[in-house]
Amino acid sequence: MSGPAAHEQVHVLTGMPSLSKLYVNAAAAAAKSRVLGGASHTSLPPRCHEVRGVVADLAKMTEYQHLLGKPARDVMPSGFIHAMAFPVAMSVMVSEDFPLPLLGMIHLKNRVRHLGPVLYTQPVSIRSWARRLSGHRAGTQVEVVVEVRADGSAELLWRGVSTYLAKGVFLPGVDKPAAPGVGWDAANTPFNPPDPTALWRLGVDAGRAYAAVSGDFNPIHLSVLSAKVLGMRRSLAHGMYLAARVLSDVGSPEPDAFSWEITFEAPVFLPASVAVHITDTRNDDGLWQRSEYVGWNVHSGRRHFCGSVAAL
Amino acid sequence: MTDTDANSSPANPVQVRRAVIIGGNRIPFARAGGAYAKSSNQDMLTAALDGLIARFGLQDERIGEVAAGAVLKHSRDFNLTREAVLGSALSPETPAYDLQQACATGLETVLGLANKIKLGQIESGIAGGVDSASDAPIAVSEGLRGILLDLSRARTLTQRLSILSRIRPKDLAPDAPSTAEPRTGLSMGEHQALTTAAWKINRQSQDELALASHKNLAAAYDRGFFDDLLTPYRGLTRDSNLRADSSLAKLAKLKPAFGVSLGGEATMTAGNSTPLTDGASTVLLASEEWARAHDLPMLASVVDGEAAAVDFVHGADGLLMAPVFAVPRLLARNALSLADFDFIEIHEAFAGTVLSTLAAWEDVEFGRSRLGLEGAFGSVDRSRLNVNGSSLAAGHPFAATGGRLVASLAKLLHHKGTVDGRPARGLISVCAAGGQGVAAILESR
Repeated sequence: MSGPAAHEQVHVLTGMPSLSKLYVNAAAAAAKSRVLGGASHTSLPPRCHEVRGVVADLAKMTEYQHLLGKPARDVMPSGFIHAMAFPVAMSVMVSEDFPLPLLGMIHLKNRVRHLGPVLYTQPVSIRSWARRLSGHRAGTQVEVVVEVRADGSAELLWRGVSTYLAKGVFLPGVDKPAAPGVGWDAANTPFNPPDPTALWRLGVDAGRAYAAVSGDFNPIHLSVLSAKVLGMRRSLAHGMYLAARVLSDVGSPEPDAFSWEITFEAPVFLPASVAVHITDTRNDDGLWQRSEYVGWNVHSGRRHFCGSVAAL
Repeated sequence: MTDTDANSSPANPVQVRRAVIIGGNRIPFARAGGAYAKSSNQDMLTAALDGLIARFGLQDERIGEVAAGAVLKHSRDFNLTREAVLGSALSPETPAYDLQQACATGLETVLGLANKIKLGQIESGIAGGVDSASDAPIAVSEGLRGILLDLSRARTLTQRLSILSRIRPKDLAPDAPSTAEPRTGLSMGEHQALTTAAWKINRQSQDELALASHKNLAAAYDRGFFDDLLTPYRGLTRDSNLRADSSLAKLAKLKPAFGVSLGGEATMTAGNSTPLTDGASTVLLASEEWARAHDLPMLASVVDGEAAAVDFVHGADGLLMAPVFAVPRLLARNALSLADFDFIEIHEAFAGTVLSTLAAWEDVEFGRSRLGLEGAFGSVDRSRLNVNGSSLAAGHPFAATGGRLVASLAKLLHHKGTVDGRPARGLISVCAAGGQGVAAILESR
């Protein structure tokens, strides 16, 4: 396991990085590498980034909760913690010595262990690092770990691992896997849609709406034009929006301690009608244990995502 | 989850004094955009109330309480029922309250007021409901609403200008009410299409039920059954959705309207689903003493009622299947079976809803695993089902349906009188949005 103890270097940032500045830096880096040649690094940065004393923006959290159709409780939704911590993760990915280009990376998978309820008033420290740089049939994948703790405490509250794919990037010394990778390229496997339990009608502005509450202004989500600049035919929904929406559909309130994961397959180009099926498993006492879910395009039947939520 | 406890240890309903149904009045129901296109909820509720007051001589009468509601409500309708009372010939000292339980609103107002009468809190009550799908509230968008509310809190011109500058063109698009369930995004018809398919209800049986609804309602009109249950309004003397000349051949020609993109065969059409409708209904309830003192008829007693809800969100049960659970609990508590009823009214939200309900009750496995019974709950004798037609023919102005059902059934029971030496019995079952359902037992007087 690569945990924080494994990091010789902890790089403590003085405050939350600005996502918009990080995207500008990423764009500049992309332009620079296009002019000066490919990436010069073939291994991950050896340090983790940490920001201490982070407190949620209540207005943003309320907007987030309302957008996702959640009752606006004082406990932070699991997906909101991801959004709040995302700038720290991104600061790792735009480091000079990060071997993969941030812009255009594909979100393959997310696994989260949410270990206890976190009030929005709780100051937290957020730590992030990258690990497991590995080959993928279509490029190179990497995991970015985020850990959230109560400020000044060693006790873990929330831990997320996001898997990203830099499509078409092949690094020397990083082998391709023998077995097919998870997600994305698994979308070609046949899928027989079950009866839907929910239907999401996502408008063209679904990406902008989630960007506004999450701060994730990745251009591929904002407009057809900005998405086309990055090689997408249309703008697409944030993976984390889909994850948060399905978490919201699984149930309210969120359990105190739970784990969830999502694997992204065919991207959701906007506008879209996404059908969702959720299957609950209960124990002998009738208590909820876990839910499996799958989302697909109503018209084409292509699978967009699948995953599960389980009590811890 | 099956609530087996409710079945295994039925508590006897508390024996208190009786609440009786004296009569009812409604206006004919109109298809949305038709005769009542310009009539508001308050207009229609007042019209139904006026007719009831005239029929039973309630001018200047101080009624114990009036309870009514609407599902689609304007913000100005916050005190809809009291406003309708103030605009009526009833004594202005008549209190009123609004209630909302989606399509079960009307039936729930009857049960609530009957309970107050039984407990001696009031002597008389008027229950009712109204809905307009034509004069539906349209709100400003959430974005504009937020901006306008912020604007009302601003103190300086600079603040106001800064807030106004947030308005974007898309904020100006209005927000109309929709029939989609908030938690699933599926419309009520789509939900029912899933249930209809799950219970393998075919197209023809749905069309047959729809046809029977039209034929039965038309026959009831023809023999004058509704003469003392209805007041004409805005030129209508009959429900405008009624198609007395409908036929299976005509119904079979209609294209599927729901479940088309959900996979599987789509069997639900505009013909075997209720249309959006405008209308209002009222029911006069009282204690026996009040009825006698006012020399008014007593058609039936309100015996008992039961509400249920299902976990439809992840598809454990169909959205409109809660009555499937409410009725067995209600009957167990009263030591009755389906065969003990002379008339059964199952609200026809969709033909598929009624047929899925009957199928679930006839299913042995469902009876065992979900209802906690030894086998199937039972069968409904189709000759006793919706004998004067129901919502498929009459239409379904959401909150007004309960009052229509109660007043019609009370009259039917009163005519029937006694059966084998016991009072005639009737059962009402109404499904509602949000996975809810309400059932009630009436007994002839």
